[in-house]
Amino acid sequence: MNLEYLWGGFAVALTFQNLAIGFIGCFIGTMVGALPAIGPINGIALLLPIAYTMGLPPESTMILLASIYCGAEYGGRISSILLNVPGDAGAVMTALDGYPLARQGRAGEALMLSGIASFVGGMIGATGLALFAPLLASLATGFGPAEYFVLMVFAFATLGSMVGNQPVKTLIGCTLGLMLATVGLDATSGAYRFTFNEPELGDGIEFVVLVIGLFSISEALLILEHQASGLTVIRQLGRMFVRADDIRKSIGTTLRSSVIGFIVGVLPGTGASVSSAIAYTTAKRLSDTEGTFGKGDMRGLAAPEAANNATACGAFVPMLTLGVPGSGTTAVMLGALMLYNIQPGPMLLTERPEIVGGLVASLFIGNILLLILNLPLVNLFARVLTVPNWLLVPGILVLSIVGVYSTHASGFSVLLMLAIGMVGWLLRKLGFDMAPIILGFVLGHVMEINLRNALAISGGDVSILFQSKISLVLWVLAAGMAVLPLVLARRAKKRLKVAAPA
Amino acid sequence: MSDKSKTASLAGRIGGICLLALAIVYGIGGSRIEYAFASDPLGPRVIPVMLAIILGVLCLFHLRKPGTTEPFPTGTLLGKTLAVPALIIVVVLLLEPLGFAASIFVLTAGVGRIFGASWRKALLGAAGQALLWWFVFSYLLEVYLPKGALFG
Repeated sequence: MNLEYLWGGFAVALTFQNLAIGFIGCFIGTMVGALPAIGPINGIALLLPIAYTMGLPPESTMILLASIYCGAEYGGRISSILLNVPGDAGAVMTALDGYPLARQGRAGEALMLSGIASFVGGMIGATGLALFAPLLASLATGFGPAEYFVLMVFAFATLGSMVGNQPVKTLIGCTLGLMLATVGLDATSGAYRFTFNEPELGDGIEFVVLVIGLFSISEALLILEHQASGLTVIRQLGRMFVRADDIRKSIGTTLRSSVIGFIVGVLPGTGASVSSAIAYTTAKRLSDTEGTFGKGDMRGLAAPEAANNATACGAFVPMLTLGVPGSGTTAVMLGALMLYNIQPGPMLLTERPEIVGGLVASLFIGNILLLILNLPLVNLFARVLTVPNWLLVPGILVLSIVGVYSTHASGFSVLLMLAIGMVGWLLRKLGFDMAPIILGFVLGHVMEINLRNALAISGGDVSILFQSKISLVLWVLAAGMAVLPLVLARRAKKRLKVAAPA
Repeated sequence: MSDKSKTASLAGRIGGICLLALAIVYGIGGSRIEYAFASDPLGPRVIPVMLAIILGVLCLFHLRKPGTTEPFPTGTLLGKTLAVPALIIVVVLLLEPLGFAASIFVLTAGVGRIFGASWRKALLGAAGQALLWWFVFSYLLEVYLPKGALFG
């Protein structure tokens, strides 16, 4: 197996600038993860335009965003344990055993053990990514336009699990994203589509405007409604060192959950919330002989934390090798690559090994940094939880406005962001998830171009989409994947119901 | 069915009808896109029309079973929710004439108030944030932001 790209990647990631960027990303990521109001996707959305306008090279931007992503998976546990409110979607299960532990005065131990579990999960996930990425990329190099188009169909087919119980809404979200992607100049015919004679729409809707509108603005409005009242942060952390016995007992669970997390992460569309649920229920089924899960069992804490960190790394596999994001957050990162005019796909690894290698290497380095940051500084991050919303939300809005304004230096972009944010808020109230819209938007342009190229090659004959073996396999996989995550989610839910009859 | 879930499904249906209307308008707009030539058999119109049809069909499914929705805010909360975007519009208008630091002050003070801070806290917090963000963006990161009449 050719791992040369990885060694080159370490050379990229270990430069002083990229190390510093990785460190900043890890730090910000942990804070973003710890804050219950915002998750990794918000953090990335807010920092992407700033990184872009600062003129960072693409590999540095990727390192920054990846560090934030992984940092947020670490940070999410802090508010789960101390506040009983998950810091992000992947940390929902962490609260089940983490909060009871904190109430028993063992918050410090819980934070340390979950930090170690996060580290193991992240390292196993990064190793999996390093090994699988070249493998999958070499399989996918034979893709033509027709195969690409079917690959995108495959990606959408797997999305059902993102909002598992409301697949119609997920598909509507994807379609809305695809529709937004049609705005702007059509390169093949020179036609302007849906620009309403507004020159700033000629290049289409800016990715940054869409992402910040959908995630930050709508989030700020939701925070206003969900202003948490009467929540108390547990400030007594107790002893900070975990007992060796607890570590020994959790090793098996941690390793198993990491592998589960990685595999779930690789499946396009399934994120940390699914993997941590599966890991937790599996751990409970296998190890809960004394009925201590849910009452403060260290293994119940280690399982979801190892899983969600491994998932974050696994989600990079389809994104880096196929150009198909494995989660909402990687969809934003994919869009970030496109901002640099880099077309993600199987050729990325051979054409831009420094980006793929740098990102993978930065995950290894980032996990070590995060472990170092998270063990002694956990008290500092816990303090983030006490930042009041009246300070936090204006800060989010300032970052949103600066981010959008700085890319175009125009008030129009900010107003467009606001309009998109309001629509996003309405959609979220109606139970729609924002991630499918981003996925649709990111993939929409590539999907249309490939379909049109394929049909141009065949002279308009649709059968080209079903001719090659690769496309046939992808069609079959698409059909299978549309069903599989639904089954997985349903099983996880069923197990949960058995596990925790509320 | 309880009153609450009735309103929830009503909101879901209204949303579905809006999306259906969007599909129709988008589809008609798509079918009327003007172009001089097309170098591929599909051209720029087909994909928008296809997407409009897909969205339309999905909306019909959605209307049949709108699923779960969250309750919409009412009263004061609704006012506050609408005040946030209104304030952002004001700040966008102020950005060029007043400059970054001053408009950020207006934004953070206003939003701070909306989120329940006392005047004292909101103004102090806003002063701190205006200073912090001005330092970070204009000085540290050198991002281009309008200088305006009041400080840079």
